[in-house]
Amino acid sequence: MEILRVVDDLVCTRRAPGLGRSSLRVLESAEGVVSVATDPVGAPAGRWVFATTGTAARLAMGDPGAVTDLTICGLIDHWEAPA
Amino acid sequence: MKIMRVEKTLVSTNRIDGFGHRPLLVVQDKVGGARSVAVDAVGCVPGDWVLCVGSSAARDAAGAKDFPSDLTIVGIIDDWPPEVG
Repeated sequence: MEILRVVDDLVCTRRAPGLGRSSLRVLESAEGVVSVATDPVGAPAGRWVFATTGTAARLAMGDPGAVTDLTICGLIDHWEAPA
Repeated sequence: MKIMRVEKTLVSTNRIDGFGHRPLLVVQDKVGGARSVAVDAVGCVPGDWVLCVGSSAARDAAGAKDFPSDLTIVGIIDDWPPEVG
């Protein structure tokens, strides 16, 4: 799983049916790479989270038919960003 | 499979139900390298060099075919020279 920081919500009204009504978040890695994840947790902006990739991301949504390849799995209680 | 080094445990109280109470560890591909989070199926401690599996093997190794892990520790390497890692 990857360690990423929540930057913001992502609003996307027109979407593929497989994406359902799942919340989307913009995430940034410690290296500054930006990606988008589905969020079943409800992660607020600024928090560090861990996210799973690939088929596991679809399972993490609780629906194997969900069309995602990155899903937030949990909030990290304490995380010091590496310098 | 990948050779990784365990850095520390990762505490996440608010997590999805699919992860249960499985222990999570921060692992690095080398000392000071890129960090990832792995599910611990073995019981290792910080400083151990471990063997990690990805993709569907990670889900299976974590205990169930529908476990949402993409990286699971499946072995502790007895003796790994740090200069190689």
